[in-house]
Amino acid sequence: MHIGYNLSAIFGSIPFLLEGLPLTLSLTGIASLLGIIFGLFLALMKISQNKILRGFAAVYIDAVRGTPLLLQIMIIYYGTPIGAAFPAAIIALSINSAAYVAEIFRAGIQSISKGQMEAALSVGMNYSQAMRYIILPQTIRRVIPPTTNEIVALMKDTSLVMVIGLSELVYKAKQIGSATANFFTPLLIAGVLYLIFTIPLTRYAEKLEGRFSKGA
Amino acid sequence: MLKNSKGGLAKVLKTVNLTKKFGNLLVFENVNFHIEKGERVVIIGPSGAGKSTFIRCLNFIEFPTSGEVYIEGQKVDKNSDLPKIRQRIGMVFQHFNLFPHLTALQNVTIAPIKVKGLSEKEANEIAMHYLSKVGLAERVDHYPNQLSGGEKQRVAIARALAMQPDLMLFDEPTSALDVEMIKEVLDTIEKVALEGMTMIVVTHEISFAKEVANRLIFMADKRIVEESTPAEFFENPKTDRAKRFLNKIVNI
Repeated sequence: MHIGYNLSAIFGSIPFLLEGLPLTLSLTGIASLLGIIFGLFLALMKISQNKILRGFAAVYIDAVRGTPLLLQIMIIYYGTPIGAAFPAAIIALSINSAAYVAEIFRAGIQSISKGQMEAALSVGMNYSQAMRYIILPQTIRRVIPPTTNEIVALMKDTSLVMVIGLSELVYKAKQIGSATANFFTPLLIAGVLYLIFTIPLTRYAEKLEGRFSKGA
Repeated sequence: MLKNSKGGLAKVLKTVNLTKKFGNLLVFENVNFHIEKGERVVIIGPSGAGKSTFIRCLNFIEFPTSGEVYIEGQKVDKNSDLPKIRQRIGMVFQHFNLFPHLTALQNVTIAPIKVKGLSEKEANEIAMHYLSKVGLAERVDHYPNQLSGGEKQRVAIARALAMQPDLMLFDEPTSALDVEMIKEVLDTIEKVALEGMTMIVVTHEISFAKEVANRLIFMADKRIVEESTPAEFFENPKTDRAKRFLNKIVNI
């Protein structure tokens, strides 16, 4: 194994590595936002009275969670007419994230006591009013910690889009490795860059979890 | 006993052979019941008699398996405009079911605003009226977890009244309360009764039944066993089933 002695070359390559960061962050940001929106609809479908909606959500969630994300990225990029890598990556990551978020939301909604829905109906609300004004506002507090963890997982998973040629952090690190014949240092620096974002997010989720479990 | 302050005869609600099963488990069967405007009916009976499930079927929080429900002469079933019908039937639950993310005031105003389309100002006025009536005008900005059980239940009563219903259903409103809070809730319900509200109360509180109800229904073994005035029922029960029930509870 070759561990870099040429420090100036390594440090010189950091700006190049940092060029991958905006892509990693924008993939994470956009895909988690879309994943949350789509995931909420999937969760509502999965608990709906309508068999078709429920069936669709169940099959979707099982299919997405039961296959590798790498495969999903490749199917979207190579197997559909979406020619460009960035939109393909966004779509694949959003589709994937939505399935995990949907399960978080479904569990969150179902953790609200049955009496809440009954009380909302008893004052004359219809199902969607009860969901919107009574059930979902209570669900949001409970799902923030697990959803934050899901965003952390998604950020790490964005590295997989290098297989369709998107130069995010890991891709850049690998390029530097190839150019300098030293892979260890740039890959390590890429790891540190992930940690700068993932550790605070994870801590934040843990803090919220602690606060909510104290029965706020 | 209280006087029936609105002596009309219009049937507010009627059931015909109402039956509820959970799968194969029979909860109650062939219940024929009616209540007229201004009447205060107490339903009493041993646990498992189907009392709570019965009143939950009256506003279709629970769907009856067979039989009919008529509200002001109109047949109601699962295809009816249930949100509209439920606006006219207030319900108070054993476990309060206040909305924990809303203040006491917001608990009371949310339905008038979102369901009836009142402005926030109008809804606040109505809510303050009812929250004062239940004695909680000073607690309106508190969240449910900052209120005692008795206070929660009184907010729940105000929440139901704020929709200005024609009929109130009370599902064991004091069963989940600490003993020292039962009276404040019963007094509140009595106050509502005095103003002429039509109500059905499932309860185990015998003195409340005696004082407030003008009709008493004894449910046991999944049906209505006896129907009379509270005075008659407690002094002269007609059926053996009622005698057995009273023997168990009265000598407390």
